[in-house]
Amino acid sequence: MNPYLFRILRSPSRTDIFQVSLEERMTVLDALFSIRQERDPTLAFRCSCRVGMCGTCAMSVNGTARLACRTRVVTLKSKTVTVAPLPNLPVIRDLVVSLDPFFEQWKRVLPALHPREPAAKDLARIPADSPYARQTPRKRDCITCGACFSACGVRGTNRGYLGPAAINKAFLRLLDPRDGAATQRLDVLNDEYSGLWRCHTQFNCTEVCPKGIDLTDTITRLKRAMLAPGRWLAR
Amino acid sequence: MAAWRLQRLTGLLLLVYLFLHVRTVHQLSQGPAAFNEAMAFFRHPVFKLLEIGLLGVVILHALNGVRITLIDLGIGHRRQARLFWILSVGAGGLLFLAGAIPMFLFSVLKL
Repeated sequence: MNPYLFRILRSPSRTDIFQVSLEERMTVLDALFSIRQERDPTLAFRCSCRVGMCGTCAMSVNGTARLACRTRVVTLKSKTVTVAPLPNLPVIRDLVVSLDPFFEQWKRVLPALHPREPAAKDLARIPADSPYARQTPRKRDCITCGACFSACGVRGTNRGYLGPAAINKAFLRLLDPRDGAATQRLDVLNDEYSGLWRCHTQFNCTEVCPKGIDLTDTITRLKRAMLAPGRWLAR
Repeated sequence: MAAWRLQRLTGLLLLVYLFLHVRTVHQLSQGPAAFNEAMAFFRHPVFKLLEIGLLGVVILHALNGVRITLIDLGIGHRRQARLFWILSVGAGGLLFLAGAIPMFLFSVLKL
């Protein structure tokens, strides 16, 4: 068992410090459970799957947005671990934030499929060499944890900005040959104040994405594609 | 993020330089005497050192601008951090030294 000092930022004016002993393979989430079970039952945090699939336990660990369940404490290479709620999102309590601002932007890009042929009965064939199949394998892994959204410097100063995850979702839908809502999505993406042109290529989103999605790549690809939007509309 | 911050900082510094530059050149409209007087102010050794600093700021801003343009064109995307250290800091540092050493020797020390 290795001793660690956990600093939990429960509010701007309250930081609680706990000494926790952890096994080598234990995660930040394990440490939080240990604190709640043995030290302070009032500590609030959120988690669900515990295997990095649901995105519920995203929080700031030593200043970087991470999934608590996928962050082994030993990999932080620090005996003091500072845990805080995700920045740029309203805090509900302790480490629990509201993802409402994230999903407000998410909804704006019409994340659901809007089929071109709603009455179609046949399964769509997507060849392995089609743009959708070639460009999207990794980008489809988003678990909507909000890490990219909270780490985005542009979002920090522009509350109307779509954020990387919503833009990535719109990108997937635009590439999807079954989709028929390109015009509406392009209007949202092309918005001068809140659309993808606000991205300043900081790479914060790419660096924190727990699923390894290259979100800045998505945005720069879309920026180039937006120079010829007819490509999406001509389908 | 470090690259982005440095690009903003160097951009602001260049803005200050641009203001001073335009203001000094504007003295030409007041006649040769006024211009010479303005230029004499910048012959102070402190400004010679600041001139060397300006070289560094211009090189860093320009090379990081090239890096951002490459990224926008889809080149070097996955190696963006390495691109910053190799192109903007590494190559930029060498360029800076190539310019700063002669500037220091012949303009500040006046060898």
